[in-house]
Amino acid sequence: MSSPTSTAESVPTALLSRLQQVVEHAGSHPEAAVCDLLRILQAEYGWIDDDRLQLVARLCSISPVRVEELCTFYPLVLREDPGRHVLRICDSIACHLAGAPGLLQMAVAQSGVPLGQSNGRYSVLPHVCLGLCERAPAAFVDGKNTVAPLSAEALRQLLQDWERES
Amino acid sequence: MCRKGIVPTRCAMAEVFYLDGEAIPFRAGQNVLEAVLEHRQESSIPYFCFHPAMGSLGACRQCGVMVYPHDGKHPPRLTMACLLPASRDLQLGRAEAKVQHEHQLISELLMRNHPHDCPVCDEGGQCHLQNMTVASGHAYREYEPEKRRYQSQELGPLIRQEMNRCITCYRCVRFYQDLAGGEDFGVFGSRDRVFFGRLEDGPLESPLAGNLAEVCPTGVFTDKVYHQDYLRPWDLEESAGICPHCSIGCNTRPGAARGHLRRVRQRSHGEINPHFLCDRGRYGFRYVAAEDRPRQAQAGGRRQDVDSVLDRLAARLAEGRSAFLGSPREDLDSNLALFALARVLDAPFAAFFEPWEEAKAREILALPHPPAPARISAYAEILVIGAVERVAPTLPLFLREAHDRGAAISLLRCLPSPLTALAGEDRLLPPADLLDAAWEWLGQRHHRPFLLLIDSESVGPELLHLLRREIGTWPDGSGILPVYRQGNLPGASFYAVDGHASRLRTALAGNDYDHLLALGQDPQEMDGLWWRSHGDIDLSLIDHRRSLSWDDVWLSLPCAALSERSGLYYNGEGRLQAAAVAYTPAREERHWRPELGPFPLAAGGALREELLPSPVELCRALAERLELSERWQERLRFYRDFLLRSAPRPGDPGVFLPEELRARFRLHSAPPPRATDQGWSVCRFSHYSEEELANGARELHSLAPASAAWIAPGQQDARQVRLRAVDGTSRTLPLRELPDMAAEVLAIPRAELVFLGLRPGDGVNPEWLD
Repeated sequence: MSSPTSTAESVPTALLSRLQQVVEHAGSHPEAAVCDLLRILQAEYGWIDDDRLQLVARLCSISPVRVEELCTFYPLVLREDPGRHVLRICDSIACHLAGAPGLLQMAVAQSGVPLGQSNGRYSVLPHVCLGLCERAPAAFVDGKNTVAPLSAEALRQLLQDWERES
Repeated sequence: MCRKGIVPTRCAMAEVFYLDGEAIPFRAGQNVLEAVLEHRQESSIPYFCFHPAMGSLGACRQCGVMVYPHDGKHPPRLTMACLLPASRDLQLGRAEAKVQHEHQLISELLMRNHPHDCPVCDEGGQCHLQNMTVASGHAYREYEPEKRRYQSQELGPLIRQEMNRCITCYRCVRFYQDLAGGEDFGVFGSRDRVFFGRLEDGPLESPLAGNLAEVCPTGVFTDKVYHQDYLRPWDLEESAGICPHCSIGCNTRPGAARGHLRRVRQRSHGEINPHFLCDRGRYGFRYVAAEDRPRQAQAGGRRQDVDSVLDRLAARLAEGRSAFLGSPREDLDSNLALFALARVLDAPFAAFFEPWEEAKAREILALPHPPAPARISAYAEILVIGAVERVAPTLPLFLREAHDRGAAISLLRCLPSPLTALAGEDRLLPPADLLDAAWEWLGQRHHRPFLLLIDSESVGPELLHLLRREIGTWPDGSGILPVYRQGNLPGASFYAVDGHASRLRTALAGNDYDHLLALGQDPQEMDGLWWRSHGDIDLSLIDHRRSLSWDDVWLSLPCAALSERSGLYYNGEGRLQAAAVAYTPAREERHWRPELGPFPLAAGGALREELLPSPVELCRALAERLELSERWQERLRFYRDFLLRSAPRPGDPGVFLPEELRARFRLHSAPPPRATDQGWSVCRFSHYSEEELANGARELHSLAPASAAWIAPGQQDARQVRLRAVDGTSRTLPLRELPDMAAEVLAIPRAELVFLGLRPGDGVNPEWLD
């Protein structure tokens, strides 16, 4: 884990002041800003590295352990570099019945790395219920778009497109 | 949820409810499980996540009972006993088949991922999970998939983690974060992949981390020090001990076997340590096994047998040119034995070598009714002066509970403190300003009883004196509780704080005395400056640790360690408690062919006792050689009878030093503080592990930082600092920055303060070096 004293240096001044504004908005409860800070930093960098975790802890006046507790509880917060793209395939009960295990296997075969690991370009992650059970199996792309139902062909195409990107 | 705390609440037992037809009494506010646990020695309801200090969580789902509604309309329902408030005439069932099946199922679920490594688990034989699993009737594993596996962490020299054994009861994290206030340990993940640990490998930072081994209901966190010298818990002989490492006097349960002291666990005392023990108390005992612990008598640094050293010592005492020095960390009888010897020889005696320390002891003895540590949480207003959490690491537990109950806590400090999170008022001050700030705080209107919690190592006697004299004007019930690292200060100094230290020094500095016999106190470690300037005094030491002067003194006599003898100790509230003999040191050796080395007892070897004499036995031997045995015994009996109107036995709650005996110290005045120039001053830096005896506990002491001078960040660019004593000697220390400490203050360890002849608050002229 990086030293907490050097963390602010890795973040541009404009971004840092934006984060500070969010903390100020939380008033006397700076810890309430922790989710917002993580969301902003993840949108900016794609994931939360140790330096950024320490930065969030310092800005929110809580221990790094508290921030890590939150990061590891919520699957949408990434603590490892996922590559340029992230595909989350729902593996909860409805999607499981609708073929999610097959899709996950297929994604593993195509990406060449186990679930949760990056092949340098993208990562495929199993995910808890996306709330799209009526259109199972569902997927969540790059934290922005949902694809439901996700067909095998659409999955193959999506991963091929990502592989072609330079 | 029933509101819990580390201090048991006291209220009248009035009503009953019924469990399987048996009437169970309960107090208002208790839940069903709590009432059953209090009523019966062994609970008939299995449970995991409930803990008397942490309350109910309902996470483990193990403590189900059947509730029978009185209305006759609703069917019986299964409810968690820890979440069910006890109420009058409640009808509950535990013995029925449905409930038992439920307990069995939950046990099976909890055991789903638990490894079957009980034969090699340190918790075996004292495992709550094992007991509850057997009690609930789950015996055969039917779950087939692979067990969940974790990579455990390396958590330092005191605690061992085996995360695969976890049943997710959350006790560890609730203790560590909520009660101990630790910030380096947490719970990560969710669902069935929850991990309890640190961000990365490394020693746990809380001085209460050792409690994890007792809080965990199974073997996830175990005592790493015990593991080094492990025997099954049922092979240990446990006794009633008293922690000698600070003034709180926590009750302990030392466990020993085959001539080795192997572990110390907490023994509950409702007024002192209801549930927990600090790591100094838990691991400090290892000083008895320190590699450099003295075991041979010496004369001039050369080994000699005890008898010849005693002969020489007795001959020297007979010359009538010897003074005596007791010790506030030694037990009552040892001090009285030495004091009685000094009196029959009509020789000077002091319990302290430093008059300044003696004046503080006098003020501590004069305090009326210091409150019991566990009563701290009952105060609505508390002023904390100095680094109490470094001196007595269990105190934050009580302060945190007081805070949770709404107490207003004010903090006056020089060093960073974990208590800042609890303090409404937090002032960072040089030590010389603490008194004025305390006075200012007292000047505010306080209508409710309040408590002053004082780190007496950071302040001078004048502060204690001035505050103590004001007690009569405070609201009834207000008080002062001083904390310090000596385990028996009132007991050692009761007869010898009326200027005895000054008289001892005057005697030694004059021509009439040229020899000092010191018990458990090395003058060089108490006032190096004075001792250096009086190099012609011969010193004889009786101790069980190798002090600074041990190998250079005229005579040195090793004695039994505190846990190797029984003893009586007065704690900071003036409560006298008794400790039993924890063990008799012995070495395992074989009966035949000794050239092959030790042979285990289990394989037919023998135990050879290696018990050293106690200080009382050494004093008795000296009295016999001086042919003063009868007079010595008579004196000893007189002092003992006067001070001990009723002597407690090990395991008793203790008896108090009578108030009228304390009152005689209230006539004294305190010496004025030394004048301090504006500019840099010194304060004492200490780690929680630090204490004269505990410093010899290898595993615990390995956590203490290296000696340095600590300053607030941004004050100096230098790498080192040199400080000079008035005799021209100097000390050069590496300079380290310590966030959140007072400006223009140098925090240095006690050994350096003593060497330089400095006290907390003294002004200094530091030389900054690159």
